[in-house]
Amino acid sequence: MSGRARVRARGIACRPSTPEIGRTQASPSPASVDVSDKDTPSSSGYMGTSRISQKNKDGVSSGDVGCTFLGRGGRIRREFMDLGACTREKLAHVRDCKTGSSGIPVKLVTNLFNLDLPQDWQLYQYYVTYIPDLESRRLRIALLYSHSELFNKAKVFDGAILFLLEKLEEKVTELSSETQRGETVKIVITLTRELPSSSPVCFQVFSIIFKKILKKLSMYQIGRNYYNPSEPVEIPQYKLTLWPGYSVSVSQFESSLLFSADVCYKVLRSETVLEFMTDLYHKTGLSSFTQACEKELLGLIVLTRYNNKTYRIDDIDWSVRPTHTFQKRDGAEISYVDYYKQQYDITLSDLNQPVLVSLLKSKRNDNTEARIAHLIPELCFLTGLTSQAISDFQLMKALAEVTHLSPLGRQQRLARLADDIQRNKDARFELETWGLHFGCQMSLTGRIVPLEKILMQDQVCQPMSAADWSKDVRTCKILSAPSLNKWLIICNNRAEHVNESFLNCLRRVGSSMGFNVDYPKMIKVQEDPAAFLRAIQQHVDADVQLVMCILSSNQKSYYDSIKKYMSSDCPVPSQCVLTRTLNKQGMMMSVATKIAMQMTCKLGGELWAVEIPLKSLMVVGIDVCKDALNKEMAVVGFVASINTRITRWYSRCILQRTTTNVADCLKVLMIGALNKWYQYNHGLPARIIVYRDGVGDGQLKTLIEYEVPQLLSSVAESSSNTSSKLSVIVVRKKCVPRFFMEMNRTLQNPPLGTVVDSEATRPDWYDFYLISQVAHQGTVNPTYYNVIYDNNGLKPDHMQRLTFKLCHLYYNWSGLIRIPAPCQYAHKLTFLVAQSIHKEPSLELANSLFYL
Amino acid sequence: MPNRKASRNAYYFFVQEKIPELRRRGLPVARVADAIPYCSADWAKPVSTPLRRPGMLVSKQSFSPPDISSLSLDSDQALLGGIFYFLNIFSHGELPPHCEQRFLPCEIGCVKYSLQEGILADFHSFINPGEIPRGFRFHCQAASDSSHKIPISNFESGHDQATVLQNLYRFIHPNPGSWPPVYCKSDDRPRVNWCLKHMAKASEIRHDLELLTVEDLVVGIYQEKFLKEPSKTWVRSLLDVAMWDYSSNTRCKWHEENDILFCALAVCKKIAYCISNSLATLFGIQLTEAHVPLQDYKASNSVTPKMVVLDAGRYQKLRVENAGFPHFSSSSQGQGSNTATGDYPSGVKISGQNNSVRGRGITRLLESISSCSSNIHKFSTCETSLTPYMSQKDGYKSFSSLS
Repeated sequence: MSGRARVRARGIACRPSTPEIGRTQASPSPASVDVSDKDTPSSSGYMGTSRISQKNKDGVSSGDVGCTFLGRGGRIRREFMDLGACTREKLAHVRDCKTGSSGIPVKLVTNLFNLDLPQDWQLYQYYVTYIPDLESRRLRIALLYSHSELFNKAKVFDGAILFLLEKLEEKVTELSSETQRGETVKIVITLTRELPSSSPVCFQVFSIIFKKILKKLSMYQIGRNYYNPSEPVEIPQYKLTLWPGYSVSVSQFESSLLFSADVCYKVLRSETVLEFMTDLYHKTGLSSFTQACEKELLGLIVLTRYNNKTYRIDDIDWSVRPTHTFQKRDGAEISYVDYYKQQYDITLSDLNQPVLVSLLKSKRNDNTEARIAHLIPELCFLTGLTSQAISDFQLMKALAEVTHLSPLGRQQRLARLADDIQRNKDARFELETWGLHFGCQMSLTGRIVPLEKILMQDQVCQPMSAADWSKDVRTCKILSAPSLNKWLIICNNRAEHVNESFLNCLRRVGSSMGFNVDYPKMIKVQEDPAAFLRAIQQHVDADVQLVMCILSSNQKSYYDSIKKYMSSDCPVPSQCVLTRTLNKQGMMMSVATKIAMQMTCKLGGELWAVEIPLKSLMVVGIDVCKDALNKEMAVVGFVASINTRITRWYSRCILQRTTTNVADCLKVLMIGALNKWYQYNHGLPARIIVYRDGVGDGQLKTLIEYEVPQLLSSVAESSSNTSSKLSVIVVRKKCVPRFFMEMNRTLQNPPLGTVVDSEATRPDWYDFYLISQVAHQGTVNPTYYNVIYDNNGLKPDHMQRLTFKLCHLYYNWSGLIRIPAPCQYAHKLTFLVAQSIHKEPSLELANSLFYL
Repeated sequence: MPNRKASRNAYYFFVQEKIPELRRRGLPVARVADAIPYCSADWAKPVSTPLRRPGMLVSKQSFSPPDISSLSLDSDQALLGGIFYFLNIFSHGELPPHCEQRFLPCEIGCVKYSLQEGILADFHSFINPGEIPRGFRFHCQAASDSSHKIPISNFESGHDQATVLQNLYRFIHPNPGSWPPVYCKSDDRPRVNWCLKHMAKASEIRHDLELLTVEDLVVGIYQEKFLKEPSKTWVRSLLDVAMWDYSSNTRCKWHEENDILFCALAVCKKIAYCISNSLATLFGIQLTEAHVPLQDYKASNSVTPKMVVLDAGRYQKLRVENAGFPHFSSSSQGQGSNTATGDYPSGVKISGQNNSVRGRGITRLLESISSCSSNIHKFSTCETSLTPYMSQKDGYKSFSSLS
């Protein structure tokens, strides 16, 4: 059991309130724990490239095909791409109604606000060309805006595409204007599309409108979110400053257009890079200063207050001083000192500081040379948290106190934002120009589905709390456990005294849960990975069932080398335990219980089950993530149940070379799982339900067009006559809506098993939200399920309850978890492979949960 | 738990066969597992068995080698004696395509190898990567930190590129004539090739070296020997093995001392080990110290006697011996004393010179065991094959005379 892996696994189960501070833009890197906000540095914010070769020859269209309006940085915002996938219309059984009915109704408040539009609201999209062609976007905009025809109209223009609320008289309008240099430029404005308010393009326009509005509330956009630097929260003892902010979006929900807002925080350090450098200088002295500086600073994200932009420090140029000059875009030479004075009215105090170098991301995807930005340390504030800070418990606690808002606190912040938008004159004016009306906060009715009973070997247990039933099942026997007769403990010379008592403990808890543990062989080795490996190589033979390594330090290389060897070269289940864990006084019993459970699973045992009425059902979890060493490799984890009780699992992992998180190899995996099922059940499963995790924004269509066919064809191939029915469900741990339950005149997190399948869902999808985790601190985050393919024809009610039941079956945690167990297993497997093994684990282990 | 049926290998049947005999000797053996301790010594006797203990080492790949004796010996000899070089060069990351400089070479490793003799010599050097392109320091540092961890600046051990290349060429090609084949893994090939060209440019030495891939080499050897093509997956899994990651005398000194896995020399040596372990054994070659790091498999771990029922009798016996005669284990090793000869450039180690000992480690162990345990007569059949070895190591003689 590695500390890292454990922390993550637990983090999912018992501290489920989301990382609400500044969302990472790209797929979250495993290293950035909850609070660190490592936004990809946003380079100079000019929006969209003006060269869009979209020429709609067919004249005016009103469809949404090929929307080309580009978001920040020239990309189509990814979440809008998903909206084009209309899966519900293909699913006959939910076309009319996708809501369930079982369970107790519960009134919920959301973080969604109504946004009212007039009935006939329409947007007109124009394409603007300049003759002669102009390169400068700024000039293009200035020339267009100076015309009286457009002067007072509601408009959005990115340099090429113009959106207007009112239609121009002519389909093609020609204007001409004169530049400062006296050139005459002809501007041709051609109507290309008329867009209804439900078009995804409109949501992008709404986003731009709200961007303007939030700017008027003196909030700054950093990355994707908006922050308010004028009301910082200081944590002086750790030199931290938090900027409160919001992430907002406008989108079409089930029945209406809704504005959603969530609270987030930007973590800044209250010191500048220059102060940090000075500190470091006093600590290290001159001789190793530059090296220490580079070691500490490179890779950090800094924020420059004068323009509120973030940059990554890629290099430090020690030869350049602020007094040196550089060439501005217009060719004039100016010194850094003068530039900051002129441009921002900032006087630099230290004229001997070096400059930081940041590579700016090329906006076009061509291979032009990267541009470089020089930054003055004095003006750069460090952002995010160092790994040192993240491991500081007290610091994280102090941070959590601010950032983990209770439902009530969150609601207050949301109410304030709504209030600000409605009261601010400029904001209101902007809304009115576009014909929008900012409405009230939406509430809806959810349902609480009944809680599940846990089936043990000879008794059924109704847990006191579904979040953690470890106490309830302590005296119960587990479903099945192989007897552990021949196993090894490898430890270093110093750990002996611990082992004796631990072993006794393990045997005792083992016997009470029905897991027979014999005495192991003890092998004592030197404390280094080589010695551990050598001992394993020497002593493991065909009969050894399990190897336990007692490690004295949490060093990754130990764990990695053992896991790598034990899962591919010499496939035997292995269990790593830290000496520190065994030294915890008074915890021995619970530690031993936990380890005994893990060991049982690794040997292929089953711990508990829940009542699942569907017979002959196979559930599958798929997760995809990037390899930690080689970013070009994607790790695809696939875990399928192989018995009707859904207690035994077949787990496989394949590495594939790709840049996206889309799986290529599902056919091999699915056929493998079906063969395994056939072996155990002498037939094929009647139904297969696949839960797919690890899907990024904008990948939905690819999934439908690429992954679902792979699964379908493998199901079809495996049987000649009646093939199994298949459902594919996309699982998202992050979603926009939040739900609060009103109770005793205050707000609380909704209870476990709350299902929301109306109002906050999308009209084109068969989707629902399920709360299957408890937040002890902060606000609970619902899990979002989107059924993208379904020929099982299960009622929505049954689909929701089945999903909830599956959240009970994760054997590494005796309680509910936030995603269905197969997904969590697949995640655990991909995590082990991506972090430690970096190659496919041996198939001999596929029948056990060797990666727990 | 692995499928037990699948692991019924030759050893299993060997032990099964021995059971009646053991029972006759009055030993309490009910099943195969019980009999293992009594059989391992006998199992080790036939000299042509490969090093790996059943079910333990890598290749469990199921292919059946054709009957070796039916193939011609001449081509074998040519193949066995043939000398290959394995080369790798590490870089501080890879820079994006628009940069002129794509790699920053920082470490080079090369070994000279033949199937018959194993690793004959090795060459290792750190390279001064030169100036890091402005703005890419973080990129390079991050790449280095995630793999070989060689500092990107202020690293004293880095030699300048011209010298390193010169030394490499002297190592590979000391005499005029045709160049021997040089191999690296296919994944590394673009990088190694780029680095060689780059270094050649810097030093104005002509680049005569042709870089081939190890995968092709393995396929070639296999084809030549067994006249059929192995699967690509088999070749790849043969070369991608973790078991020698921490073996002694595999990484360069710096990486060994800092306990970092990624080392250019280690990559080359591990290729040699993998080929030795899986291919050389198919030719019936006895694996030596030069083929795989055998010394690691001598008893070096202390085992708590009271808790352990050891399954391999030889280790247990040896441990007892170890305790009694502490000099034994040290005398068997002539490691590390590098006598660099004047002819070779810096960084080159000729392993043949100090590793004159040849023969299987296990046999040697058995020898030592047998000489002190009373059943020495059992090994009389092996005696002949071991004579050259015995004469060189008089340590054993004195040792056996003690018992």
